[in-house]
Amino acid sequence: MTAKERAPVQAGAFSVPYGHVIGHEKWRGSQIAQGLQGKIKLILEDGLGLVDFHLSNRSCILYISEADLVAGNGFKRRLVRFRNASSLHGIVIVEKTQITDQYFLAVQKFIVLELGMTLLPVVNQGEASQLIIQLVHEQSKDHTSNPFLHKKCPQLVEASILRTVQQIPGVGKTKAVLLLQHFVSIHQLCNASVQDLELVVGPTIAQQIHAFFMQTK
Amino acid sequence: LIHILRLKAALWILVDSREISSGSEIISSLKAAHGVKVQVCALGGCDYIVSNRMAVERRTYSELLSSLNRSKVTQRIQHLQSVFERICVIVEKDRVKAGETSRLLQRTKHYDSMLSAFSRAGIRILFSSCQEESAHLLKDLALVEQRKNVAIRVPTEARGAKQATLRFYLSIPNASYVAALNMCHGFDSVRQMANSSPEDIAARACVSQQKAEEIYRYIHYIFDSQIQTSGLCT
Repeated sequence: MTAKERAPVQAGAFSVPYGHVIGHEKWRGSQIAQGLQGKIKLILEDGLGLVDFHLSNRSCILYISEADLVAGNGFKRRLVRFRNASSLHGIVIVEKTQITDQYFLAVQKFIVLELGMTLLPVVNQGEASQLIIQLVHEQSKDHTSNPFLHKKCPQLVEASILRTVQQIPGVGKTKAVLLLQHFVSIHQLCNASVQDLELVVGPTIAQQIHAFFMQTK
Repeated sequence: LIHILRLKAALWILVDSREISSGSEIISSLKAAHGVKVQVCALGGCDYIVSNRMAVERRTYSELLSSLNRSKVTQRIQHLQSVFERICVIVEKDRVKAGETSRLLQRTKHYDSMLSAFSRAGIRILFSSCQEESAHLLKDLALVEQRKNVAIRVPTEARGAKQATLRFYLSIPNASYVAALNMCHGFDSVRQMANSSPEDIAARACVSQQKAEEIYRYIHYIFDSQIQTSGLCT
């Protein structure tokens, strides 16, 4: 056996082609393999170590079955070994069934809160194959098609600033516009003296604005 | 021992006021079973804040199953991303109403694709079978954040004249409710805040350096009244 085969995780060497998933040889003939058929291309390989499926050169799946959960804490050692050996984003698919329901809360706490990995529950291998298809689709998409990855166009700053100035008691939209035309930034407005403010608004409001900025705890 | 107990600060969680009706068991469970200090306020677009940097969005399983809610859920989470450094979604099993038998909800492609998108974007996902369990998860999240020294420290609500100051800070884009509260308590006055360096803002608002710089730039931004008068700001 070569050192490579004994390694717990194949170092991020995998460049998984788009729309493909590289799976551990042990999944040959499984329900997951069948479920993926015709939807995405599954390549089975030996020597993946602890990983069940590679989605890309950055992320992979570790599968925890009902039997693994019932068998005790072996799966925890496996996850910890993975975490220590690899910097890949590990997605842990867990079979959450009537039998394993009792362990789920503790398992989730361990995987998500202690190890900082992603956990996605499924009922069986059939659901797992559907989930894997979507995970592969997500990996194949370019960054901008994920609404949570691309930056939203920022709101017009002028509109926000106008709204901020209107939070000052006694200042409505018209006065806010006048104040900003004169003092140009929130910073300058905050440093205006009562006399400065009186040039733009009446003396009562000028006092009020000044008091708002100076008010201490 | 007494000394150690004293050092252990109370755990605070901010809860959006809309959760009073939809998540009453979570609130009572946080208080009664977990000894968490709960502050209910109008968080505006966020269900729970468990630390200075983390927001928690609670969604039922059925809401995520249907693609009808896609844009609503997406917009909420995009908004949270613009305000918070970390986001967690709790997927909660739907409640069975009295007299109704538990419906078997079919898992959908849309659900799996939402989970995939969350996961790729680094949004945490937790699964809960009921409100009590969600309370448990919220407490665990707050505890993890407390260990990382980002726990909420100034939860006291702004009262009286401080209300206007809080609203002023809240209107700063990318400032979360907890950052606004921290500014209320951390700065002697609004003028002091406006004259602060990004480093000072980071320390007093308990936000990242990047957020602090965003706030700093906003305070110093030169307002273009031409843009305003062209009617873009309604």
